[in-house]
Amino acid sequence: MPKKVVSIVVFPGSNCDRDLDIAVQKYMNVNTELVWHDDPNIKNQEMIFIPGGFSFGDYLRSGALATKSPAMKEVIRLSKKGVPIIGICNGFQILTECKLLDGALIDNYKRIFICKENFVKIENKNTPFTKNMHKNIVQFPIAHAQGRFYTSEDNLKRLEDNNQIVFKYSSRDGKINKSENPNGSMNNIAGIINKNKNILGLMPHPERAVNFSEDNDGISFFRGLQNLL
Amino acid sequence: MNLRKLLKMIYRVYINFKEGILDPEAEAIKKTIDSMGYKTIKNISKGKFFDIEISSSKNTLGDLEKISSDLLSNPIIENFKIIKK
Repeated sequence: MPKKVVSIVVFPGSNCDRDLDIAVQKYMNVNTELVWHDDPNIKNQEMIFIPGGFSFGDYLRSGALATKSPAMKEVIRLSKKGVPIIGICNGFQILTECKLLDGALIDNYKRIFICKENFVKIENKNTPFTKNMHKNIVQFPIAHAQGRFYTSEDNLKRLEDNNQIVFKYSSRDGKINKSENPNGSMNNIAGIINKNKNILGLMPHPERAVNFSEDNDGISFFRGLQNLL
Repeated sequence: MNLRKLLKMIYRVYINFKEGILDPEAEAIKKTIDSMGYKTIKNISKGKFFDIEISSSKNTLGDLEKISSDLLSNPIIENFKIIKK
């Protein structure tokens, strides 16, 4: 049987698309198609990834200009049809700017670019994206300057009530508090899903956690996505 | 001054953070001003503006409002204000 094909949308300034491509092909056992941002057609609609990077140089606000790309208009249309969509880092920023996910990602609390490994607690395993991950706490690299998740108190409550918060920054043993919060995100939020559970956004980079051994937590993330296809 | 230049239609769109959203850049600037010895500066908020020249005044304000809320600002975190220059 031919392998299934998932799409990765690439913008001017994306820089995690190749890493993502390798991780997806290897651990989801699929082929990929890289879709250039000005292509209004996304042929392969099994799953769509929006990669990390600095789309359009992060001009205006991170992710803002990418929202108007022809490919993103198609992503927005397909999202309404239930196509699984994952945005990582700048991809998460783009999805919030498109209003496909709640909130906004703004300057880190200390206004520096953070690049380090961080522990992340999986807050909700009852999502198509996380249900096959074995561990409750994983280690993923983060690399961003605008990762502070912000939303209104009402929206935050709604996200919590609907179990839409999927990942939170935590300590090695899963403690969630201010000292484990790298960027000042509300309630340590690192990733959320939409209400219909077909769109996931996360700031950490699972595609950068696949290289060194089978234990790397990115591997279980991508393997776990196979059930969505 | 030539007439054409005089008749230029320019609007300025101001964008700033909504109240209550911490802006670390403005905080850092405030701290520096404090360290310069000024005692009366209570608070600083930072924003940006866009000068937008238009070719026709037809539907302009409506279009500018749409552009401002749909692209130039993110209504979750920012306010905008449009003034005629």
